[in-house]
Amino acid sequence: MYIKKVAVVGAGTMGADICYTIAMAGIPVVLRDVSREQLDHARQHIQELFQGRVARNKMSVGDVEDRMSFITFSGDLHDLESVTLAIEAVTEKLAVKKAVFRELDLVLPPLSMIVSNTSALSISHLATVTSRPTRVAGMHFFYPAHMMKLVEVIAGHQTSTETVEAVVRLSEEIRKIPVKVKECPGFVVNRILMASMAEVLRFKEEHRLDAASIDQVVTQNKIAPMGPFMLADALGLDVALEVANTLHKALGDRFRPSSELEQLVAEGHLGMKTGQGFYSYR
Amino acid sequence: MAQEWESELLTRFQLATFLEAVRLYDEGVASAEDIDIAMRAGAGLPMGPFAWADKTGLDVVLGQLQELARAGNPNFAPPGSLADKVARGQVGNKSKRGYLSH
Ligand SMILES: NC(=O)c1ccc[n+]([C@@H]2O[C@H](COP(=O)([O-])OP(=O)(O)OC[C@H]3O[C@@H](n4cnc5c(N)ncnc54)[C@H](O)[C@@H]3O)[C@@H](O)[C@H]2O)c1
Repeated sequence: MYIKKVAVVGAGTMGADICYTIAMAGIPVVLRDVSREQLDHARQHIQELFQGRVARNKMSVGDVEDRMSFITFSGDLHDLESVTLAIEAVTEKLAVKKAVFRELDLVLPPLSMIVSNTSALSISHLATVTSRPTRVAGMHFFYPAHMMKLVEVIAGHQTSTETVEAVVRLSEEIRKIPVKVKECPGFVVNRILMASMAEVLRFKEEHRLDAASIDQVVTQNKIAPMGPFMLADALGLDVALEVANTLHKALGDRFRPSSELEQLVAEGHLGMKTGQGFYSYR
Repeated sequence: MAQEWESELLTRFQLATFLEAVRLYDEGVASAEDIDIAMRAGAGLPMGPFAWADKTGLDVVLGQLQELARAGNPNFAPPGSLADKVARGQVGNKSKRGYLSH
């Protein structure tokens, strides 16, 4: 299916970067949020990304104006009426996402698709609140979405092959690398990252080592671009713990969160965003 | 000289990464090639877990897993598909076939 126009719903961290990526590829995109403030924020962030390209001589000022003209910043649902595919990137809460899916189902043309950027919620479950479960899929970007190349394209129980293929093609059109994944908790990347992180946390407790020494060995030997503890701090320890708990429940003991991670979260040390996690940023 | 804990850390980190990748592959969630692409493009790993295992040698990887499992770490029990491949002589790059074709 030819994708004429895209909507990104939720103009937060992920939504803004996704919108920028789509506009860069010259595809009309509506960026919607319920918060005016978030929309203004997103507009400023996207402008800064474009200005960065101008500063690096990768784009002219005229190009930027041209690409910005592909974006409609909107609080108005009616702007979604001619959209072929909507990417939901709202807050990671089932109730919020379900409400957004219902709303999108009502306003989008019947043949249009709805995809979710969720990291952990069930695509099949979200599909059930719509009248178009075959046209619902997962389109999972990675932070920061304007830089990370991967998109996991997730088929739920009822997702049609055409929907999967349309999302794969759109991903390629916006210069991403799509990988098809069947629905499962954590999908591919987060599931593997969390499994190795849980193992390294166990290792840390057994050997009573500090995070920095472990991270240093990992990066010096070039087995990963960033040490697991630095990565967890960047992700947010509350997010890491929640994902670990979900995977632990669904897939077993190898994902059991360590007591150290639980303790840090309980003390409000959530990583970079609070100034303290496995490392101190103060 | 690397300290002993350092090589243990690297082994456990890479084996845990590989084992989860094998589970995803065995469950049919994604192909081995796609899992490698995903870990490079989505997590920035310099090498995908299957490329790593095939290069290391699946016989060697199996041996490391058996040793850790024997030492009382049940999370490292070798997966069925790995033992099958080694039994068939598909041990990775050196036999032109492992989880990937070379
Ligand atoms: N941050 C990451 O690293 C990351 C990576 C991959 C996927 N994700 C997923 O992306 C999604 C968004 O995450 P984020 O980090 O950008 O969150 P965020 O909190 O930065 O942004 C969420 C946005 O959704 C908006 N919103 C809330 N309810 C809405 C509604 N009913 N209609 C329209 N907009 C609404 C909020 O105003 C906010 O701007 C989540 O599902 C998350 O799991 C996040």
